[in-house]
Amino acid sequence: MKIILTGNPNVGKSVVFSYLTGYTAISSNYPGTTVDILGGKTKLAGIDLEVVDVPGVYSLSGESVADRVADEIIKKGDYDLIINVLDANNLERNLFFAFELIEMKRPMIFLVNKCDIAKNRGINIDFKKLEELLGVKVIPIVATAGIGFDLLNNEFKNIVKNINDYIPKISVPDDKLDKWKMIGDVSSKCETIVHKHPTFLEKLEVITTTPVTAVPFAFILIILSFYFIRFIGEGLINYILDPFFNNFYMPIVEKLYSVISPGILRELLFGKSITPLEGFSVLTTGLYVPFVVVLPYIIAFYIVIGILEDIGYLPRLSVILDKFSHRIGLHGYGSIPFILGLGCKVPGIFSLRILETKREKLIAASLMFLSAPCMPQTAMIFAILSKYPVKWTFLFFIFLFSVGVLGAFLFNKIVKGEAQDLFVEIPPYHRPVLKNLLFKLNLRTKNFIKDAVPFVMGGIFFINILDVMNFFDMISKVFAPILNSVFSLPAKISPIIILGFLKKDVSITLLTPFNLGLRETLVSSYFLVTYLPCLASIFVLFKELGKKITVSVIAFNFVFSMFFSWLFSNILLAMGVQ
Amino acid sequence: MEITLSKAKNAKLKVIKINGGRNMIAKLYSMGIYEGVDIEKLVSYSKGPVVIKVLNSQIAIGHNMAEKIVVKEMN
Ligand SMILES: Nc1nc2c(ncn2[C@@H]2O[C@H](COP(=O)(O)OP(=O)(O)OP(=O)(O)O)[C@@H](O)[C@H]2O)c(=O)[nH]1
Ligand SMILES: [Mg+2]
Repeated sequence: MKIILTGNPNVGKSVVFSYLTGYTAISSNYPGTTVDILGGKTKLAGIDLEVVDVPGVYSLSGESVADRVADEIIKKGDYDLIINVLDANNLERNLFFAFELIEMKRPMIFLVNKCDIAKNRGINIDFKKLEELLGVKVIPIVATAGIGFDLLNNEFKNIVKNINDYIPKISVPDDKLDKWKMIGDVSSKCETIVHKHPTFLEKLEVITTTPVTAVPFAFILIILSFYFIRFIGEGLINYILDPFFNNFYMPIVEKLYSVISPGILRELLFGKSITPLEGFSVLTTGLYVPFVVVLPYIIAFYIVIGILEDIGYLPRLSVILDKFSHRIGLHGYGSIPFILGLGCKVPGIFSLRILETKREKLIAASLMFLSAPCMPQTAMIFAILSKYPVKWTFLFFIFLFSVGVLGAFLFNKIVKGEAQDLFVEIPPYHRPVLKNLLFKLNLRTKNFIKDAVPFVMGGIFFINILDVMNFFDMISKVFAPILNSVFSLPAKISPIIILGFLKKDVSITLLTPFNLGLRETLVSSYFLVTYLPCLASIFVLFKELGKKITVSVIAFNFVFSMFFSWLFSNILLAMGVQ
Repeated sequence: MEITLSKAKNAKLKVIKINGGRNMIAKLYSMGIYEGVDIEKLVSYSKGPVVIKVLNSQIAIGHNMAEKIVVKEMN
């Protein structure tokens, strides 16, 4: 039996999906978390079910590009049952889409979710009455707590036997105004709202949306997040991972090193230096970089992002950023792919789907590549700059961001068309649920370990081969003129730059063995971050936006990156920084 | 008095007219914003987005779109 999970955005479909299937669907408190169809399997009342998590939509009218994926599935009709999820806090608005479904005369049941929040906010719903008025089975649930699923399970015993009983029989007016009128009738009959004192979260909503307080709040929050990520990241490195690595792991490696006789095998495994970050040994640097340098920051970053996502801050941030975003041809919601891209470009690029036009996607992608280094890169920048005062780290990011904005600004001028308007639901703040936070953190960390770590190790192994075979000198000779004269950088780092393309996320730390000066570090890091997107993101970009956009974004960014690396180098030289 | 949503001063408003294309009207409709509905304006950035409350949800609307929504100020 095939089931589709539908509903307005942000009602909790993905939580329901994860609960039912045990699959891992990311859920966050903003509309547009799910941008692709996800399928899974489950068993209810002993029946095997195939469940599809459909992106949320407000209507079936199919006018908007972003909603097409959902539209198609719902209209295609190759399913046996629709489970439509509604938000108890927003029953009336949710009923519009529900009515459109009712018109389709397919078997369906409704789950009214987030009953816990509704209760706190003084909203009372008479579910029996609702069921009667709609002619559709209604089950109240609290998806995050797993409440109500037993009722769903029971219902399935009947569903399998009499599926046709679940086809709604009421008739819905065609005219949209009449439809809203009928919805008003229904909800006034089964919903009562007791006025309660605003909760802490409701007060916070006002503070963080009213311009005078919202802007400073956002500013402070971003700075605090930055420090928090550094603090947690450094703490994990200095007090846990680095000591563990050095005291427990290194002795084993050293033993191994001493029993292997000098020769090609030893060089391949241990490189020219066995000390982590001083050579390119897979067994030391190859593990030290991903697990000691990068992983702590990945964890710290996704803790912060997870909390912001689940509270529901991101849509509010997008309102604050809307005016600014218009200058670069985006609307405020463009900040969501950007923020996700700070973690990893791949989910960042996928979430470009929440933007409507190709033009916006193009600008947002370019901005993301020019000014939002992914977390592994950021971690390595933190690490490589950690021996200098923190102001240099700030300067680096400010430069990076400013150039990215300038790039987007130019793109906005060059590419024909106009910025779209922000139009998005701002969900109420939720108290983050620890379980969901850990669930997402675990999923994202695992993805990093699974997808990135083998690549990092492979990359280091490969560089080591070049190193022990003395290929470095050869490559360096070829690139020496450009690096020296344009960027005033030493030629010896050129293999890293070449490899940066293949293994972007490790390339920056691989500069460590070269003992560069501050300027050299800043400029080469800048160049490595911006000059080309990593292979994975090029691949995804290509898939999502096609050849033309991919090529133009890459070409544009390359030119920009060259020019600004040159400029950066000269500014620093003028400041007397070597 | 009739005025655009972006310029309205009062909090309590009634939507009078939507001067947009089919696409925009449909989008607003499905969120419960249509001619004759009561809305509440919560936040407004000068020349920037507004946040309104309609039914029980908050919706952010960009400046240009808010300029196309004509409202009446209610007391
Ligand atoms: N308190 C509470 N929060 C919930 C409940 N169900 C879902 N949430 C939260 O609501 C937010 C939205 O949940 P999602 O599952 O991402 O919603 P969705 O319907 O998949 O949203 P889109 O993918 O954007 O269409 C998340 O922050 C969830 O943790 C619930 O029953 N109670
Ligand atoms: Mg979802």
